[in-house]
Amino acid sequence: MHPLLFSVVDNIRSLGWGGAFQLLRNGLVLGSLYALIALGYTMIYGILKLLNFAHGDVYMVGAFLGYGILTRLNGPLNLAIGIVPAIALMFAVAMAGSGVLGVAIERFAYRPLRNAPRIAPLITAIGVSFFLENSVQLLTNGFQYTYDPFELGKTGNEELGPLYHTVFSVAGNPVTTVQLLVVGSALFLMTALVLLVSRTRFGKSMRATAYDREAASMMGIDTDRVIAMTFFIASMLAGAAGVMFGLYLGVTYYFMGFLAGLKAFTAAVIGGIGSIPGAMLGGLIIGLVESFAIGYVGGQWSDIVIFGLFILFMLFRPRGLLGSRAIQKV
Amino acid sequence: MATPEPKPEPRPLLELAGVSMSFGGLVVIDGLDLVVNEHEIVSVIGPNGAGKTTLFNLITGIYSPTAGEIRLDGESLVGMPPHKIARRGAARTFQTLRLFLNMSVIENVMASQYGQTKVGIARAMLRTPAMRREEREIRARAEEKLAFFGKRLMGYRWDQPAYSLSYANRRRLEIARAMATEPKILLLDEPAAGMNPTETHEITELIGQLRDDGGYTILLIEHDMHVVEGISDRVVALDHGVKIAEGSFDAVATDPRVVEAYLGTKAASTK
Amino acid sequence: MSDQSNTPVPEPPDAEAQTRIGVDSWVAESEDRQARKRGFFGPAARGWDASPDPVKLFLFIAVAGTIPFWMNEGDLFVYGLFTVLYATLGLGLNVVVGFAGLLDLGYVAYFGIGAYGYALVSSDHYGIHWPTLASLPAVMVFTGLIGLGLGLTSRRLVGDYFAIVTLFFLQAFLVFTNTANPVIHGIGLTGGSSGIGNLDPLEFFGYSLTSVKQQYYFFLLVLVLATAGLYFANRSRTGRAWRALREDPLAAEVMSIPVNRLKRLAIVMGAALAGLCGAIFAAIQTAVTSSNFTLNVLIFIFAVVILGGIGSIAGPILGAIVINVSFQFLQPQNDHPSIKRWLFYGAIVLFIALMKPWYRAVVVLVGTVAFGLAVHAIVSATAAASWTAGTVTDAGSGSAGKAIADWVVIPNQTLHGGFATYAYIGLVVLVCVVRSVTGWWRTVVLIPTLYMAAVVWENVLAPNPAVTAEILFGVLLIVIMTVRPQGLIGTARVEII
Repeated sequence: MHPLLFSVVDNIRSLGWGGAFQLLRNGLVLGSLYALIALGYTMIYGILKLLNFAHGDVYMVGAFLGYGILTRLNGPLNLAIGIVPAIALMFAVAMAGSGVLGVAIERFAYRPLRNAPRIAPLITAIGVSFFLENSVQLLTNGFQYTYDPFELGKTGNEELGPLYHTVFSVAGNPVTTVQLLVVGSALFLMTALVLLVSRTRFGKSMRATAYDREAASMMGIDTDRVIAMTFFIASMLAGAAGVMFGLYLGVTYYFMGFLAGLKAFTAAVIGGIGSIPGAMLGGLIIGLVESFAIGYVGGQWSDIVIFGLFILFMLFRPRGLLGSRAIQKV
Repeated sequence: MATPEPKPEPRPLLELAGVSMSFGGLVVIDGLDLVVNEHEIVSVIGPNGAGKTTLFNLITGIYSPTAGEIRLDGESLVGMPPHKIARRGAARTFQTLRLFLNMSVIENVMASQYGQTKVGIARAMLRTPAMRREEREIRARAEEKLAFFGKRLMGYRWDQPAYSLSYANRRRLEIARAMATEPKILLLDEPAAGMNPTETHEITELIGQLRDDGGYTILLIEHDMHVVEGISDRVVALDHGVKIAEGSFDAVATDPRVVEAYLGTKAASTK
Repeated sequence: MSDQSNTPVPEPPDAEAQTRIGVDSWVAESEDRQARKRGFFGPAARGWDASPDPVKLFLFIAVAGTIPFWMNEGDLFVYGLFTVLYATLGLGLNVVVGFAGLLDLGYVAYFGIGAYGYALVSSDHYGIHWPTLASLPAVMVFTGLIGLGLGLTSRRLVGDYFAIVTLFFLQAFLVFTNTANPVIHGIGLTGGSSGIGNLDPLEFFGYSLTSVKQQYYFFLLVLVLATAGLYFANRSRTGRAWRALREDPLAAEVMSIPVNRLKRLAIVMGAALAGLCGAIFAAIQTAVTSSNFTLNVLIFIFAVVILGGIGSIAGPILGAIVINVSFQFLQPQNDHPSIKRWLFYGAIVLFIALMKPWYRAVVVLVGTVAFGLAVHAIVSATAAASWTAGTVTDAGSGSAGKAIADWVVIPNQTLHGGFATYAYIGLVVLVCVVRSVTGWWRTVVLIPTLYMAAVVWENVLAPNPAVTAEILFGVLLIVIMTVRPQGLIGTARVEII
């Protein structure tokens, strides 16, 4: 593996500080996206002890919904309404649509299996994931759809263009509006979620249901509704992440959910599954690791690096950074 | 009363010294000392939440004590995984039954003999004579354990799935399954729970027979004072994880601390 | 009760047994219950249950062994060889999922590692040419060790984490073989996206297996040996321990069963079997590329195991037959165009026919046809002609195709591209509604749902059979787990809530 090590050191040196900053910037953006998806995973696992494999695909559907709105508004070159309302509408529709999808999945695929052994809903989740991916592939003929931002930048067309303008630079490395938008919205949504869970009554019922579902229902909490709302919120966040991914990288395709979901799940586990701050932290870490791995080691190895990190955590700290030790009640 | 004739000086089989257990900040068991001598029947009583089942979980290795020492026949059990503890000779039943429901009655009793047997999967797949011999032995031992309970778990019952058994039979099966591990000490967690007076009487006699005919040492958790009174050599009372009384049944039952912990007299205890 | 040596072993009660002390009615009725297996397949099911297991295996061998005599080589390869391959893979996955209760989502990676392993020691890639008698066991051991490694990392071996670790492992494997392809000893280890070719065929004592017939029989032999081995293992103390650990891992552990060790054993055995399949598969194809080990293949194997019934040994074999035969039948290259259509409509009619009582079935059937005709008439009358101008894929015989075109609304594809999407989403929504309502409402909603299914089929699914198959797999997993989790031949399990 010596040649690999040499090339890594080489890369670090050649990219220098400017490159490092770019990798850091990209990592933060990616990390925000992963954090949003990881939040969904961790919330659903916390409340149902279920790994919702289909969550990544909800994210993908959100991206497509955003794209759909963009084209309905006559596309990036000819926006029928102003840019800010356009983006707001994209977010709104994607989030609402993903939320409904998440609730439907819970209602029809997971709820019948509430009392089944753990492996049953896992298998169903895989089925749902597969179904979503291939349905979208079918309906889009497997195409990659572009949000077409770079085109705009080039032609100077002012519709979506402002998104990609540089807001400020650090030592000659630009930070664009869209990057700030992604990180900012992610921070906003995460803060809103934390406030919801810790300050509101509904948040309290969420925490109670996550802790002990049976006891919570005996205390008068409508656990079915709480679970449905949890899925709604989790999926909403994923949908938002999907739209942001589309705006940031400009592409949507049917398979994007799988890999993103896998990494986001890794983030949730590294941060400590079931812990909301853990998911945010984990997402950030994975985003940074991926970005730096792509830059220093090479794009084809970045997934393997993340996998290696995951294995290390499994070996030495399975409960994650902020997770609590699980106590088995006999 | 089932007190046997005085035996040569009692040899301690299970010893707990200063055992404490806490979950996070909650202390469930605090500095517990307990000795069970060979061939004794010791009952543990106490109100709910006193830490009785936790005690069993500690002895069988499901939890690790936060402090203290647990010894079986002189050997320390602390830190040992449950399956090794089972092989060392501590077997238990569960308060809420935990049978292998989809397996047949006899398979339940055969499965727990894993620790006593050694034919590996390679020889199993080849059906070597050694494997077939061991299978016969396993089956014979299972039938022998089930025969302890009379006709109820015999014959056609062997191949019925465990979920088809009545409640009382399920409890008996769990005891048979524990017996099949050839334990030195049997830990029975509320064996008479949910039984009617006839069944309770049967179970009380059965526990006596387990000790007299089977030679087992028994540590028993029980709420039903009829059982406790009928069978115990010694009674230990726990409350909030602390031992509050120990001695013969009469001594413990009239101990003011015990009466206070239960908030009632002996007559008011559950049937 | 005390003199156990003299206790007579009681006879099973006869069907009219009165309830006696010591005999409960559930037991007394067991004979009745066995006889009662009703339905269309009742007699067959009863016969199957009654025959001893070696007879079942013998029947299977007899039937499977005669296939090469009446099937041509091309069909044998697709319907025979691949079925046996998937059955063996399913058997291996069943050990991990069914016996140990672990969701191994990286299972297809062992299949791939076995294939690549064989390729590295039996080809010109590095010039290593081991004899088959050495390479096959070596590959099995190597793959088993990798499985062990994965098992060791999931220290707690709790199902959830293991699922993710293995899924990620699969992804890492695909990236490694496809993209990373590190250069070792001068050339890329895995050949990148083109893989490794020119593999040696399987050779035993100078006898090469080069024809499809030979390969089929060899693989069949492997399947039979694996089945027998697992069958015996199931009836041994290891098998009992596995079943106990699946029932209740905590109770099993307390009953002297070393749970983690047994889980690792199951993982290793499943991995080794998959590795063996991989090696044989690679030798048969004489080439290996990573495209054979994708997520789609994983889902295929899962579908095989789930359909047959988790934990049963005959299950994967039955599942492989059903799924592989249907799947290959619907492949474009084995195309039987109009048959696909009749299969679809036939399935719908069968679904309707299975409804009870009979008048409900009639209502639905008549209603659906009428509904369709009405919709079609309205659309033709009111909307532009392009809305019904689309063509029926694979029209087959003219009159049937025309009848369908007059019933189902098929718009011109290029002008109304979005129609397919809305119809599809509409169908999914309608299915959800059907699942939510009960009674006569369900019958009513079923009518537009079935019509919509036909619309979606004609417009979207039939023109894209490859993706449709994948979608059906996903749906199969969902439906089976929610409706009949024990699969086709499994027995319903009682679960502790």
